[in-house]
Amino acid sequence: MARALVEVLLLGLVGGVVGVHVLLRRLAFLSEALQHTVFPGIAIAFVTGQSLLVGALVAAVATIVLLGLLARRPRVDPDAALAVLIAGAFALGVVLVSHRRGFQRDLTSLLFGRILAVDTRQLIETAIVTVVCVTVVAALHKELVLLAFDPGGAASLGYRTGWLDLALNLVVALVVVAAVRALGTVLVVAFLVTPAAAARLVCRGVTSMMAVAVVLALVCGWVGLSLSYEASVHHGVRLASGATVVLTLTAGFVLLGAAAAARSALARPRVAGRRSVRGTRTVNR
Amino acid sequence: MRTFADGPALSLHEVAASYGRDPVLEGVTGRVEPGEAIALIGPNGAGKTTLIKAILGLVPVVHGEIEVLGTSPDRARGRVAYVPQADVLDTEFPVTALQVVLMGRYRRVGWLRRPGAADRDAARRALDEVGMLARAHDRFGLLSGGQRQRVLLARAIAQEAELLLLDEPFNGVDGTTTELLLRVLAGLRVEGVAVVMSTHDLSVAHLACGRACLLNRRQVSFGPIEEALTAESLRETYGGSVVTLAGATTILTLR
Repeated sequence: MARALVEVLLLGLVGGVVGVHVLLRRLAFLSEALQHTVFPGIAIAFVTGQSLLVGALVAAVATIVLLGLLARRPRVDPDAALAVLIAGAFALGVVLVSHRRGFQRDLTSLLFGRILAVDTRQLIETAIVTVVCVTVVAALHKELVLLAFDPGGAASLGYRTGWLDLALNLVVALVVVAAVRALGTVLVVAFLVTPAAAARLVCRGVTSMMAVAVVLALVCGWVGLSLSYEASVHHGVRLASGATVVLTLTAGFVLLGAAAAARSALARPRVAGRRSVRGTRTVNR
Repeated sequence: MRTFADGPALSLHEVAASYGRDPVLEGVTGRVEPGEAIALIGPNGAGKTTLIKAILGLVPVVHGEIEVLGTSPDRARGRVAYVPQADVLDTEFPVTALQVVLMGRYRRVGWLRRPGAADRDAARRALDEVGMLARAHDRFGLLSGGQRQRVLLARAIAQEAELLLLDEPFNGVDGTTTELLLRVLAGLRVEGVAVVMSTHDLSVAHLACGRACLLNRRQVSFGPIEEALTAESLRETYGGSVVTLAGATTILTLR
């Protein structure tokens, strides 16, 4: 339980920070693609008894390279390319795992993760991924924000935007790879997208978005894990821990959304003068 | 402060630019000296934006040569400021006007460092120059189109570039902003900054620029604006819809 909690908190920290960039650069779909395409990598590693992390990492890097190559061909619709890749990779993973006895149980653990079975080695790997990703994103913070806001402007200033994009994509891949063993290939994206999307509802700046996303991910990770633990151990109700954490995150998103809506509803009468000025500007546009 | 290179700010020789196999634009030849302003005129799809991107080194030049500030477009990047159209940028993006202007300083700030007091001062001065200092902490997306255009010009000013490239800066902006942009650009030219702007507003082109380059997938004319934009050359570029008023001003009915 303690290991699971540390794992969830680490993933919450890195997911909240990287997730903000995922959202700003509109990479939610890439994250979604990665969580599915790492599946065959994990399956191969699982079947051959290799490290799941290495298997996932190889598959993730292959995905990014493949998507990069596809994007250079104007004839290929990027959405279609992604869809083909996701479905194909996922099917490959299922075929690989279905060779084994106990196929159902293996598949379930790969799809939905086994957060309570996290071992020390896995924890250390997640910690390393967290340190690397947070460091890279912090070091490139202003450049990544500029690139997300105005790619043309970034290029005209002389930034090699392709390299910046590659760096961010690799960071996203690392987070997906680290989280996939704990949360499974289906739920990983929740850690990358949900906290940042919720933070965006209530924040006006990039830095505050990151702070809120991280706090939300940490709190929801802790609450969700405790809930599933309490329910299973003391009340005999089995709640899948990974899914409970993701549900708690989703609840956090809904709560912040409601808070944002309530705030703007309350704020309207008080700053009526200023709002109406903005209103006329919008009309002028 | 800016340091200016000797020689032309921009020199084009038989330039053809292309995204793929067929050139989008060809036969562009001309020079822009420091302190000069040139208007890129032509219908939609004429290659105005392509030429700007080629000068930035973002579109491959397949024939001829572009020299920017005495060197190649790639090596001149950073000394050239690009002002995009305000409406190509995401208005939901969580940045303030001041943060947008600070982006112009990022290359000076360098990797791994945050903008310092000097950068903030430069950004505030630039915002003041375009009359937007009072809105420094407002979210960029909440500003009107004209105000966002002014903030983007402030970003270029904060960059302290020697060559300014503007993509349709007067598109959809109000009269106040048009006057202000004209005044600020004139001020920059006095300092020695060269200006290249694409526009399809001929009256504004006459007010802002001494020279013009008329394009329609190839260069039609390049020179002093009165010589480059004759009724004849405009008719050749646009077709029949050209009206000449009082001999001097040529007005085009586009919309």
